[in-house]
Amino acid sequence: MNKDIKILAKDIKSRFNLLGEDYPKDNQAAFDFNSGEIHSVLSYVKSQGYRQLSILSCVDWIKENEFQLVFIVFNWQNGVRLQIRTRIPRDNPKFNTITSIYPGAQYYERDVHEFFGVEFEGNENSYKQLFLENWDDMPPLRKDFDSKAYSDRKYPVREYKTDFSKAGDE
Amino acid sequence: MENTIEKQEKLQKGWDGISRFFRANSIWMLMYCTGCCAIELPQAMTSRYDMERLGMGPMATPRQADVLLVTGYLSLKTLRRLIYAYEQMSTPKYLVAFGPCTLNGGIYYDSHAVINRLDQYLPIDVYIAGCMPKPEAVMNGFQDLIDMIKRKEANGWKNYEQNKDWYRKNQIQALGELRIKDEFHE
Repeated sequence: MNKDIKILAKDIKSRFNLLGEDYPKDNQAAFDFNSGEIHSVLSYVKSQGYRQLSILSCVDWIKENEFQLVFIVFNWQNGVRLQIRTRIPRDNPKFNTITSIYPGAQYYERDVHEFFGVEFEGNENSYKQLFLENWDDMPPLRKDFDSKAYSDRKYPVREYKTDFSKAGDE
Repeated sequence: MENTIEKQEKLQKGWDGISRFFRANSIWMLMYCTGCCAIELPQAMTSRYDMERLGMGPMATPRQADVLLVTGYLSLKTLRRLIYAYEQMSTPKYLVAFGPCTLNGGIYYDSHAVINRLDQYLPIDVYIAGCMPKPEAVMNGFQDLIDMIKRKEANGWKNYEQNKDWYRKNQIQALGELRIKDEFHE
């Protein structure tokens, strides 16, 4: 483990309620928090030099009925990549915007809103469409979205008289 | 009087033949590189296969181009822009589709964002097989297109104008609304 990460982990443990930690690589660390603490954690790590928000991502844990938000921040001074993770309920998912801390999160929040349906309160632009235009179904990257059924319903399928899929098996 | 009409028709036929000859031998292509098949075009264009010997060359804008190359899969967002580009092109215009993605969806057959059959939305003159097609196949496809133009068979654009309602219906069915205002075009 990196020396900088050790110091940071100790710091974070003393200041916040750390739910879990993980160190996938020498220069990477992942910390789990309650959803209420994320904003103070992000402001703190930003003041410690983690000035770039690399990405805001979302994971659908459908069995636990939860969404996991992953904020990946990067420090250009020592090359450490940090994952700040939290879980929010899957029904009616809401989270406060982090654009006041990282203005670059604007587009990531639109992305997550479009593909997972998480609402970011305080960011009015997050309701605008970004990648999908005129989307007419549930957010497509949720696990219970059936992509094949949607494709079959919306785009005509080419009919073949010969079944080519079986010919190759002989 | 009838004599003059006959004369005019004859003249028109002659002009058609001449213009077909020139169209077939100087094709300007608009490369709207939608998918991964576009990576085969540099080989086809540069010295090894040298597309220029068929009289083909790249062109900058849709209004100046003769042939539209759809190189691979098309997401809905790209399809909308492709329809803009195709409708801007001046007639006669031809459309060459690459790979299985334009034919039946290819490996994206189950994707929510990628269309399955391009011929539902735009008329296609030539399909080129292969995932991706090799440069030989690409050159062969272009030669087929040239032969088709010479034989008066590349009539996709006429087909599009005649059946515009049918094509428009399918486009609306997939896209919801053809013209859309996004924040970059306000």
